[in-house]
Amino acid sequence: MACMNEEGQWIVLMGLLVAVGIFFLALIINQSALVGQTTAEGVLEFPKNDIRDLRAAVFDYVDYVDRFGNANNRSSQAVRQDIIAISLERKNAVVDFDVESPQNISGRLLYPVTIHYNNGVTKYDERVYY
Amino acid sequence: MVSEEGQLYTMEGVAAGIIMLLAAYIAVSTTGIYTTGDTHIPDMQLEQLGSDVLAMMDTPDTAGDSKSDLENFVNTNNGDEFKKMFLSYCNATTSGDLDNLHMSAVVVYRSGGEIREHQFVAPDDNTWTGRENAVRVTRWVQLPTTRPAGMPTDMPNDRPKAVLVEVLLWRA
Repeated sequence: MACMNEEGQWIVLMGLLVAVGIFFLALIINQSALVGQTTAEGVLEFPKNDIRDLRAAVFDYVDYVDRFGNANNRSSQAVRQDIIAISLERKNAVVDFDVESPQNISGRLLYPVTIHYNNGVTKYDERVYY
Repeated sequence: MVSEEGQLYTMEGVAAGIIMLLAAYIAVSTTGIYTTGDTHIPDMQLEQLGSDVLAMMDTPDTAGDSKSDLENFVNTNNGDEFKKMFLSYCNATTSGDLDNLHMSAVVVYRSGGEIREHQFVAPDDNTWTGRENAVRVTRWVQLPTTRPAGMPTDMPNDRPKAVLVEVLLWRA
């Protein structure tokens, strides 16, 4: 093209721009399958359900302690050891929790509960009166 | 600049080079297709579904009911009914066949210093997952002092226990 006839160079240049634009759009369409990957991986990695379930298990345990005596007898400690040992083995999470003797909170006897959870990625600590 | 002649030849060369590089890049990147399985989006949805179903099954049906369905199934070692209820809660189809979901489940317990597994629901045959990943969802269940009938004999029989119900869920 060059030097043969210098007319119509703009048309050639615009053609080039449109071609580049189409390539760019095609690239965007090609990458759109990846949308949500990071979000999904983030959700998978965050142990929301594990922590909720652990809390439910600890509160069940407090209910049990409430019905059958204190948190230091053999049965209560065995259940606590179950939760700690199985969490470490099957859930790769270091878990600890303590139930103290009930306190009078606004006229109700509530157990102060301390829960610790750490799976190396997410760390969760809580102190709650149940 | 030595000579200003032939500038358009250079520009054409550069433009053609860019176009060729882009074409090669597009061609290569479209052949390596990211499947939806690689993006973990269905995994996330499946895991959430399984967790929700387990949480729902661990909720007593009526006020004052002391035991949930999940606790009852584990207490009676009733893996078949557990599987039926779990898969029907997971099911998202409105009519016709059930969803193509499959599951297996174990009950993890502590015996002395060891962690042991009891096969609660065995996987059905010929249901290998091809491309999609399997996900694991779990739920704690507290069992009474007496060992439920049908559970392995090394499960403690003299103290209350906390056991972990692990469900492996996959689509095939």
